[in-house]
Amino acid sequence: MKRFLAWRGHPWLALPARLYLAAVFLLACWHKLVHPGSFAMDIATYQILPLALVNPMAIALPWVELVAGLMLLVGLRARAGALLVAGMMLMFTVAIALALWKGLDMSCGCFASQGAVDDPISGLTILRDLGWLALAVYVFVFDHTPLGLDGWLRRRRGEEESA
Amino acid sequence: MRGVSRLSWPLVALRDASLVAVLAAGLGFGVNALRPDGLPFLAEAEYEILVPCPEVQGEADALAPNDPALRDARTLLLDARAAADFAAWHAPGAVHLPYDYLEPVSPEALKRLVRSGAARVVVMGDGQDPDSGEQLARELSGKGIRNVGFVRGGAAALRQAGGAP
Repeated sequence: MKRFLAWRGHPWLALPARLYLAAVFLLACWHKLVHPGSFAMDIATYQILPLALVNPMAIALPWVELVAGLMLLVGLRARAGALLVAGMMLMFTVAIALALWKGLDMSCGCFASQGAVDDPISGLTILRDLGWLALAVYVFVFDHTPLGLDGWLRRRRGEEESA
Repeated sequence: MRGVSRLSWPLVALRDASLVAVLAAGLGFGVNALRPDGLPFLAEAEYEILVPCPEVQGEADALAPNDPALRDARTLLLDARAAADFAAWHAPGAVHLPYDYLEPVSPEALKRLVRSGAARVVVMGDGQDPDSGEQLARELSGKGIRNVGFVRGGAAALRQAGGAP
């Protein structure tokens, strides 16, 4: 396990994982930002949140997705971004699992609103989300941002201190 | 040494993540308050989640309110809005066919459309999100009506554009 953790390739594997998650989240937030009304409807369909929290969630969540996606993309506070993504993936996975358990016939509302007919939730949706969750955890643990603003800032700070 | 670096990196990340989440949510609420189609902070009514399966949908062209096709004599204008809105204002010559997502368009209404002799059908709706005009246009298209379009922004946009064709 120690040898696995110490492997020097991890930061370089974490980089494509980071960029991939960034793309997923930036794609996912777009439709929700443009159409908050239909995203609120998607949230309501899960029947988990009380009505009072549906709209605040529909208003705030896409922006957290957007900012987390941007942080991962440019590599600024990338670990905080990965933590946000992991937190959201955990929340989505639990929500989808609850919906499946209740037997709701619906789409996940993850990307552009899809109908329950075209794209129903299933065990595969949960597997997909768990995969993304694992990637986010991997980025959180191993991203030392060889490419990205964090690394650039760190190097610049290092140069200043040594000067 | 900075105070920041005394925290271990997972705690720093957690702190940053919480801060970013709060700021991003705040930004979202700010933008929502400013945008014209923003959501009310509290939903006014329960969301209607138990709706029947949607009708089969087809393609429909989005037309600008000043599109010349709207002025074409062989274009049939349909108004998908509620009766009160239609009574308040409607484009000259527009036929009222209110859109109801619970109620598919009746076969009689479809027959009237087909027999109207029009070369193109353009629907105008409430311009909301989702726009009832676009929904009705897609439903008609899915039912096999050809050359169906809708006015982007609905009847309001058409009226504003100086709209009566």
